[in-house]
Amino acid sequence: MSEYAHPEVLVSTQWMADHIDDPALRIVESDEDVLLYGAGHIPNAVKIDWEMDLQDAMVRDYINAERFEQLLSEKGIANHTRIVFYGDKNNWWACYAFWTFKLFGHEHCLIMNGGRQKWIEENRPLTREVPQFPRTRYRVRQSNEAAIRAFREDVFKHIQSGKPLIDVRSPDEYTGKLLHMESYPQEGALRGGHIPGARNVPWGRAANADGSFKSTDELRQIYAVEAGLDPDDEVIAYCRIGERSAHTWFVLTYLLGYDRVRNYDGSWTEWGNMVRAPIEKP
Amino acid sequence: MTRIEEIVEDFEGLEPNFRLELLLDYADRLPPLPERHRNPDELESHRVHECASPVSLWVEVEAGKVHIYADVPPESPTVRGFISMLIEAFDEASPQEVLEAPTELLNRSGLAQAIGLRRMFGLSVIYGRIKQEVAEKAAIQQSR
Repeated sequence: MSEYAHPEVLVSTQWMADHIDDPALRIVESDEDVLLYGAGHIPNAVKIDWEMDLQDAMVRDYINAERFEQLLSEKGIANHTRIVFYGDKNNWWACYAFWTFKLFGHEHCLIMNGGRQKWIEENRPLTREVPQFPRTRYRVRQSNEAAIRAFREDVFKHIQSGKPLIDVRSPDEYTGKLLHMESYPQEGALRGGHIPGARNVPWGRAANADGSFKSTDELRQIYAVEAGLDPDDEVIAYCRIGERSAHTWFVLTYLLGYDRVRNYDGSWTEWGNMVRAPIEKP
Repeated sequence: MTRIEEIVEDFEGLEPNFRLELLLDYADRLPPLPERHRNPDELESHRVHECASPVSLWVEVEAGKVHIYADVPPESPTVRGFISMLIEAFDEASPQEVLEAPTELLNRSGLAQAIGLRRMFGLSVIYGRIKQEVAEKAAIQQSR
């Protein structure tokens, strides 16, 4: 079996268990459910919430560099700290946090393969104790935005030049049968369908039943063979708000080694509501 | 002051982080689902489909008193906590007390600020559903 393109960004649950007290590491839990961390987390893990911590409360955007510096300093994360992300639902939100940290140029980001689910299934310890780490002086030194984030203008250009788009939503959202993700009606749009030319590869296909990532060969079958993506392609991935597509962005970038992938976080909640945006149905 | 008003006041007086802790206390105390509701058909027919996790909810009115039961997975402590809080507020209460409870519960208690706007929807649906079922079932009882 062939290896992932960047196997160094994945750690196993066993590796995590062996490194819980490593002072050069910070373990970060990111979940869909805002109380899950409080209900029990890996010892020494801190919580970063995708909405309460990383989203700006006024403008639809991520927090600015200054607030990011403040947040990481409070969590005891320094510029050289290696961060291991993990979370619920196949590391869906952990990958989203990973992507957001990469926006701000944090260098050493890792994912615990299998996430919270695998850790719990292996009967590993959870605690409710919230750790305190000495405050750091985190500085954002560079922004990676141009390389990994796409805006609507980029998507228009992308369509015009016929470059590949991956729609990672469910088939019913892609075809326009549903105006929102099943069970998430608050994140709907006024129009259904997909961005013209986009191919549909639901994000969850990249995960095994235990929450871990599928093998390189299985992933290549899905993304290279079925979806026809070439490693040299410029790819834009999207979903409804950019969190599921952050998972696919991670898979393409780090597991398959596609190095020109961007996540369009405006996604369907922007595109499907935008006046005169072109839409394709089935 | 009704129990729901007391609970709203408890939450309101806390910093957002402590509101989450209080909600977690409630999540820990969600009463187990009575044996009679624990079968796959009933769990399915009582599903709250607006919730992202498999949540099932029962609202009953018997002899002028409200009873609420729920099944919520441990991976969804926010919903567990919210329903547990509503059970504490409304179990054994009169239908009228439930119907007169504040509609803007999540905003008034400050829970909206603590959990974030995107997570409020499922909870509002649960709250609305409890009120609606109480209204319907109380009306049926009265007409008997």
